[in-house]
Formats: sequence, structure tokens, C-alpha cells
Amino acid sequence: MVRFSRFAWLRARLVAPPLRPPGARPEREFTGLCIRCGRCAAVCPYRSLVPAGWEYGRHAGTPVVLPRSVPCYLCMECPPVCPSGALDPITDKRAVRMGLAEVNPNTCYAFLGILCRTCVDECPLGEAALIQDGQLRPVVLPGCVGCGVCEKVCPTLEPAIVVRAARGACGRE
Amino acid sequence: MSSPVLLAELRSSAPRRTWTRWRRLCQALVALFYLLLPWLNSLGFRPLAGTLASLKIGSFDLTEPAAGLAAALAGGRVSAVLLLGVAPVVGLALLAGPVFCSWVCPWGLLSEGVDRLRQRLRPRPWREREWVRLRTGRWTILAGVLLLGVLVAMPVAAVISAPRLITSLPLEVVYLGILSPVTGGLLLALLALEVFGPRRLWCRALCPVGALANLLRIPTTLAVRFAPERCLCPRLPLCHIHCPWGIDPRHAGRYDGCSNCLACVDGCPSGALTVGLGSPVGRR
Repeated sequence: MVRFSRFAWLRARLVAPPLRPPGARPEREFTGLCIRCGRCAAVCPYRSLVPAGWEYGRHAGTPVVLPRSVPCYLCMECPPVCPSGALDPITDKRAVRMGLAEVNPNTCYAFLGILCRTCVDECPLGEAALIQDGQLRPVVLPGCVGCGVCEKVCPTLEPAIVVRAARGACGRE
Repeated sequence: MSSPVLLAELRSSAPRRTWTRWRRLCQALVALFYLLLPWLNSLGFRPLAGTLASLKIGSFDLTEPAAGLAAALAGGRVSAVLLLGVAPVVGLALLAGPVFCSWVCPWGLLSEGVDRLRQRLRPRPWREREWVRLRTGRWTILAGVLLLGVLVAMPVAAVISAPRLITSLPLEVVYLGILSPVTGGLLLALLALEVFGPRRLWCRALCPVGALANLLRIPTTLAVRFAPERCLCPRLPLCHIHCPWGIDPRHAGRYDGCSNCLACVDGCPSGALTVGLGSPVGRR
């Protein structure tokens, strides 16, 4: 059963930090450095990066990843094109720290005894980030970079695996 | 110095449009470029990408200096890539003056168009020494915007930059399929100022991009030179009437907001105004 909260959208956008493109500097620094030039969005072949709206306050106009519409496929095209240093020019996708996936055991099919390994199959980092335990349940490992592909492919109505963008630091530094 | 007959003669002589024609061509090409670029990007063309805040040309950057300065202050960090991107644009400003505003910026083109339309409907000529009132205002506002950026940790000067906003619009329309409420909303506010506010107030006094570009003038920067002995005009001369920035080039100083659009050189019937590198003749 999915529980809807009237303020869920507000909490998601104001309280939880937005998911940033790969290589993003710590959140406060990122918002200061990002000149909203749109170059990262222009080179993204999947159109994963969208400019944040007014509801993001002072983050408005900065690039965010909304994994439920289009996750980041870690092609690593955007970090080198940032002109202001808001994105570190990393090219190794394992060095990305966008966030960390979190499994909800109450809704995940595998936890409910239904055979499902969609997220494990689709994870771009494979065994380094997401594996199955002895009971075939998904387990997130520290290698997870938070790209959001699992959240996109999760077959439950409200995704049972969700990426939490880490507060303050880009990822979990 | 001026008789009514001479003045009538001066007004009847059709102004040359040499510089203005080239300038309109340049502005139109820039506008067209940024209109088509996102569409080319969406077809998989990657060597060029960006907006007037920052353009990528291969592995080479062109970053707008006010945005760069705002980012460095608000983010508390200067990266080599930022300095390298800003350097060529600063170099151009040191050499040719704030030509970004008059020859490049698509918002400048739109603002001049709106102003011309307003002048046709309800003429409101520039007041004498109108530019003097904006002299301190421009720097105060630039400093205030940069300080605000530091306080809220957000590059305000880059966010409200009109050239960035107007070139972001096609990018967001191509990539999102809709008008972004942030970019669209800010542009609407700017347009309202152009239509209902004082003549060209944004470009002349408020835009951080232009304010910083004006500060980058040095004695050897390209400037309009004035030869007083050749001038035949009355107190409100043709150059001031033609100036899209409300400046009388005969009396304005180096930092008074001239953007080298050269409309005054075109409008001068006596050849008293010329353009050249090096320290201007007859100016402070």
C-alpha cells in the first residue's frame, strides 16, 4: 500500500537535496559555482539533466537528475564540459558520488517473496554496487554511485528502491 | 556655433548606417546561432554547446566574466578552467570595449527593438546629461548583486544575466519541450521593464554583464574619439539622439557606459566623431 502525503512533493524538493550530475561539488559550493549555462544539459545524450524549477528556491535553474523520468546512465559526458568547476572533470564512473540507493523492504517484490531482480540486472555498475543476498533480495553495496537507474526500472508502483542524494557532500565523502 | 538653417540642414542629411548595418548583422548572426545550436546539439552535434553564459568550442571555453566572477565569489573557489574560459572574453573587452553588449547580446538587440517601437509610438528623447545619473548606480548595483551572491551562495549576477536567459530559452525548449518557468519568468520580468520602465534601463544600468564589461576599459581600449573643432551640432546633438545608450559621446567619460556600438559615428554629420584604439582625443 502506497502512502500518499500531501507534502511529499514539497519534502522531496525542499528537505531532500536534489540529485546532481556526476562529479558535482558539495551542494552549497555547487549552487554557488553553477552559472546555469546549460552546457551539461546540452551534451547529455539521454536528456537526464533538467533545470530545477522555482520550487527549488536558490537552486532554481541548476541541473538536477529526476531518476523517475530519466536517470543518469553514467556516460560521463557532462563533467568535463562544466566551465565553472561546479562539476569536477571526472571520467571514471566508479568515482561518481551522486547518492546512494535504498531498498524499501516493505514494498520490494524480492522481500515479499516474488522473484524479481530487475534492479540488479540493470545496475550499470553491476556487482560493485548492487547484488542479491542468499534469499535473492537486493543489497546495496558502497560501490553504488546513485545514478538512479534502479529507481527508474523498479516495477513497483512507487519505486521500492530509491536514490537518496547525500546532503552536503557530493555523494558520501 | 549653430544656426537654425544649419541645424535643419544637418537633420535633413540622411545619417550613414555603415557601422549600424554591420552591427545588426553581427547581432542577428549571434541570435540565429544560439537559436539553432540546441537543435544541432539534440541531433548529436557536440563540439559546440552552451549559451552566452559559457560556450564550449571543442575543448576550448568562452565564459562570460560577470558570471565567472559571481561563481568564484559565491562558490568560494576559482578553478583553472574558469580562469582560462574568462581570459579571452576579458581580453576582447580590454581591446574593443563592452562590444558584448552592443554587437553580441541578443537581449540588447531585442531591447533596442522595443525601444525603437516605443519611440515611434510615444517619442521620449534622452534628457541632457542623462548618463550622469547612472554613473554611480551601475557600480553600486554590480557590487550589490555580487555581494548578494556571496550571502546566499548563489551566483546572482549569472542567474539574472539577460544574455544567459535569452540564449537558455531555446536550449530549454529543445531539451524539455516546454518553456522553463524559471527562465521564462525572469525573461518576462525583464521584458516588462523594457516595455514599461525607463528607456533601456536594464542594459544601461542594471545588467551585471554590461557593468563589469564597462569597468574593463583601459586607456588603450577601442573608443569613440571626438574632435571638438569639427563639431557643428547644438547642445543636444545628433550623436546623443542616435545613441541607444543615452550618451553624449562628446562629454561622456571612459566609464560612462559607452559600449562602442558606433551609432554616434554613423549619426555624426560633420565627421567630428571617429573610432580608434588608444586614448580618445578630447575626453577625460
